[in-house]
Amino acid sequence: MKLYEYEAKQIFEKFGLTIPKQIAVIETTEELEFSTLNFPIMIKAMVLIGGRGKAGGIKKADNSDEAKQIVSEMLDLTIHGYPIDKLLLEEAVDIASEIYLSVTTDPATFDVVIVTSASGGIDIEEIARTKPEEIWKNTILDNSKVLPDSIAQEAVDFLIKKNPDLKAVDNQLKTTISSLFSVFQQVEAKVCEINPLILTKNNKIIAADAKLVLDDNSLYRQASLLQSIDIDPQSKRHDVSEQTLFEAQAYKIGFPYLDLLDNPENFIKKDDILYVGLVPGGAGYGIFSIDEVVNLGNRYFDGKVVPINFMDSGGGPPLAKVADMFHLLMDHPATDIVITSRFGGISSCDIFIQGLIMALRDRFLANKRMIPVFGRMVGTDLAAAKSFYEKAKKETLEPLRDLHITIGNKKIMADIIRDGIEYGFEIKKQMKEGGN
Amino acid sequence: MSIDKFKANQGLLYYLIKQVRPELAESISESKNIETMIVGLGRQGTRHAQLMMEYGTDVTCGVAPGKGGRIVHETIPVYNSAKEAITEHPNIAIASIWRHYSTAKDATIEVIRTGIPIVVLISEFIPLKDVRDILVEARKYKTILFGGNTPGIIFPPEGIKVGMLPDIFQAEQKEGKIGPKGVTILSRSGAILYHLSDALASAGIAQNGVLGVGGDGAIGSRFVDLVSLVMNYENTDLVVIAGEIGGMQEELLAQDMLSQPEKYPKPLVALISGANAPEGKTMGHAGAVVAPGQSYGTYSSKKEALEKAGVVVVNHQRDLIETVKSKLNRTYFEIEDYYKKMSEKWNAKPPEKTWGTLITNVMPNNIIIRGYHLQEIIAKKGLLETLYLLLQGEFADTEEIIELEKIAKNAIREEFSNYDGVPKSPDVSKMLGTFLQIDKRLSNYVSSVPDEPKVVAYTLGRMVKYLAIIQDNLEAITSVKDTDVSFADLIYLGLVGETQQGTLKVRLLEAMITACVDHGITPPSAQATLVLSSTRAPYEIALSAGIQAITDVHGGAGQKAAEFFLSVVNKSKEKNIPLEESTFEMMNSAIKAGKRIEGLGHRIHTKDPRKDVLWQLAEEAGYAKDCVKVSKMVSDVLFRVRGMNLPINVDGVIGAITADMDIDPKLAKAIFVFGRTVGLAAHYYEEINTQPQMRRLAFDKAIYKGHSIRNVE
Repeated sequence: MKLYEYEAKQIFEKFGLTIPKQIAVIETTEELEFSTLNFPIMIKAMVLIGGRGKAGGIKKADNSDEAKQIVSEMLDLTIHGYPIDKLLLEEAVDIASEIYLSVTTDPATFDVVIVTSASGGIDIEEIARTKPEEIWKNTILDNSKVLPDSIAQEAVDFLIKKNPDLKAVDNQLKTTISSLFSVFQQVEAKVCEINPLILTKNNKIIAADAKLVLDDNSLYRQASLLQSIDIDPQSKRHDVSEQTLFEAQAYKIGFPYLDLLDNPENFIKKDDILYVGLVPGGAGYGIFSIDEVVNLGNRYFDGKVVPINFMDSGGGPPLAKVADMFHLLMDHPATDIVITSRFGGISSCDIFIQGLIMALRDRFLANKRMIPVFGRMVGTDLAAAKSFYEKAKKETLEPLRDLHITIGNKKIMADIIRDGIEYGFEIKKQMKEGGN
Repeated sequence: MSIDKFKANQGLLYYLIKQVRPELAESISESKNIETMIVGLGRQGTRHAQLMMEYGTDVTCGVAPGKGGRIVHETIPVYNSAKEAITEHPNIAIASIWRHYSTAKDATIEVIRTGIPIVVLISEFIPLKDVRDILVEARKYKTILFGGNTPGIIFPPEGIKVGMLPDIFQAEQKEGKIGPKGVTILSRSGAILYHLSDALASAGIAQNGVLGVGGDGAIGSRFVDLVSLVMNYENTDLVVIAGEIGGMQEELLAQDMLSQPEKYPKPLVALISGANAPEGKTMGHAGAVVAPGQSYGTYSSKKEALEKAGVVVVNHQRDLIETVKSKLNRTYFEIEDYYKKMSEKWNAKPPEKTWGTLITNVMPNNIIIRGYHLQEIIAKKGLLETLYLLLQGEFADTEEIIELEKIAKNAIREEFSNYDGVPKSPDVSKMLGTFLQIDKRLSNYVSSVPDEPKVVAYTLGRMVKYLAIIQDNLEAITSVKDTDVSFADLIYLGLVGETQQGTLKVRLLEAMITACVDHGITPPSAQATLVLSSTRAPYEIALSAGIQAITDVHGGAGQKAAEFFLSVVNKSKEKNIPLEESTFEMMNSAIKAGKRIEGLGHRIHTKDPRKDVLWQLAEEAGYAKDCVKVSKMVSDVLFRVRGMNLPINVDGVIGAITADMDIDPKLAKAIFVFGRTVGLAAHYYEEINTQPQMRRLAFDKAIYKGHSIRNVE
């Protein structure tokens, strides 16, 4: 889970790092009396997605008129499609030089890595490529929870070698590096990054920016930390945005779900596109089935097929949860057809089909939108599942008229998806003709 | 499942073990068996332990803190720590870990430190910091660590799986035999394997191993650590990796292939998922997320890197089939056979839920205790030896019996002061059950001594004391100088009130008690005890419940039978008619009056296996007198009266012998209750040691899974 900059800074400060004075986090222009502020101030867009500097999400204001204008403009901005809802106002700091400092996880070995450079403020990956000698890097092989003093010293020595001005603040630097390492280990972060870390003209080291990504798996034991910055420990956030309505709903019920469409709550469909909802099985196939839909759409349907979601419906979800999975997609404004796969290796096909049929019957009785379901089931308890399915179709044909489940694995799932898409287009066509 | 498997000591799993622990491999090549251990026996672990065994895995033991000493699935011993387990079973080669994410780290590190070469970490959602601690340790010990968040590993030719992968993967079949060749699959996801096996099976391509590397962001063995390893196994013809977005495993592998191509002698096909994944949103697996702004971790970065290394990358099931087919140009089994096998498996009715007991197997005319015929035990062993057998499954050393004897005798001597308020009752079950409930010394002993046979021996001592109280023999029994007196002597004294040190009479009484020790899960008394054990009621309460279920209807017929036999004998003397005649007359009039003849008939046995040995011992002891004679003819006489045959049962035999021994007929029931206490205790301990609490107790679904038939030495 990624934190907003102001949250990350508050945590860094708790660990002894110096941050610019935060004036306020605001959501409207009316929230502040700008005339009383000490200028210059920084106005920063609080978004989780990166690249806001280039998109105009960071500005400096020298007086209240300027500040008002920047605030109202920035609140209308979107960054990579994500709207800006919150702004951080903080006192500006004068800059003598900029440093890069991070503690992260090595993606290859999963060890803790400290990286620093006296050339801060710019893209570190870029420097790594073009001027690797400008970067100091150390990998901690024993997952030590406190940074050994010698390593901190080595980093400081490197920075001073690159920028002799830093000699005056060597102790401050060392403390900053050690503290950031402690933040990383104690709050159980995936990424702790300060870019830039600033040397001010009066020789202070200040974290002008802050990036903190927490490990979702350890949030359960970081509750007090999260509460200290007003985050509900039971809530969830992506690394780029807050959850959508449907994502939050699924999270609450207890299954992984992602929207693939922008602005799914008010989605406007295109007429000639088939929008496919997916209840696919476990996480790995959840990702793969999205690709299958797109690939088949590109190969056989002119690229006019769009998957709308990721879902992990794996393991053996209980009846009610299976039903909720289908309800969620049928309540989704985009869905034209739901394609589903149940491979009951250890879990039961029986529960799956019962849950699916329960959802369809409930919707029918409650007069809710009915969406065709196409798919396959195979695996444990198939005989029982099959007889339940056939009996249900006889008993209540009406709600199950558009339920098409292939039984057994003689046809591979890719072919079933293809059949499902074809069926979806046909239904769409019929409805269109019927509507006309 | 196939009967002839590929040899465990030649398969891929063995090959992996050999790479890191050659010495262990040596002993496996001798034993031809690969031992595994399961760590964490919650709902999941327990269930999958069984599924693994059903597939063919040797699950040698389990580890669960606080559950040491228990047995799961009737055969898997449980230890409190991995260290204990490895000391007992030094050949364990694989451990699977099923602990909750909050305790997974300590459990895993403990396992790694035992030196077990392959660790399968099933646990999901382990915090990253904990994973790093695990990895530090795994590197130190050169452990092959799969996971966290792995579905496990499975080896179809050998029929071994560790983890939760289902039996859907197909081994090579040639000339009706299982072969070791095929493709080896390594996957970051479990779910995708279903569709991989589907795809490969549809092309007749076998899998000789499927290795789940784990879906988390930080895992043990990565593709780059494993692909080259499995490629160098001679029977692997091709490797498929199922990768996905997130991390840089696929890129690392590609890099290594480029720089050291000689390490990769076999073709590799990569199925990569996530071509259409959004940035910055974690997709189910903690590891499956495209990190914003990174140059690795995307579908295209992986595809590009792998293709540069000469790997075919696919993103569609049909493409996978075509690529693998064209690279191998052969099939490994008849495709129809696979579909047949699968549809048979899936159409099968779920197996009936049974549960196992290792104590007693009751079949018509046979009572087998821990593998021994009860009649042999009665003839050759004493009560305390039988007690030890019932609880521990084997006979004890002499020293252990001496120790138990000391404890039992001591229990008689110890104070029991608070029984005064208990009203006297002619019902011996009620009295004994009540005493058990109020005896503070007993409950103290139970809670302070962990050794089960000792607790039961102590209980028997206390029971003698209760019986002495009931029979007004307390003073006699407490005044005995005990040095030369055996526990059996004291039982006799407590029940009968006479000193008969070391006589055949004492031995006969002990044999009758031994005859009553157990009758498996079938009797209501055992079931009552099990119900209370299941809710984890205290030992003495569960015992008391079982004892109080022993009534005239169940186990208590001895007294009435004894009285009947005595009346027959009296009548024969009075009227001077042969015993058979007086039996006939008495029986006839009883039946006309609508009474039942006690001691006849049994729900299960037509020839009670306990009767002959008891009659014979009575004969040897000189107590096979008139009542025993009557008891031997009573069944035939009944036929003359009613034209039907009801066999004599153990109550009837005990009733007859006690009558001939000239002891109180009331004691016939006491003998039964006293003996059965041992069996009830054994069932109590088996329940709490091997079964989850408050389970559904389906008594008719119990199956004996204990020792096969053997002879008492």
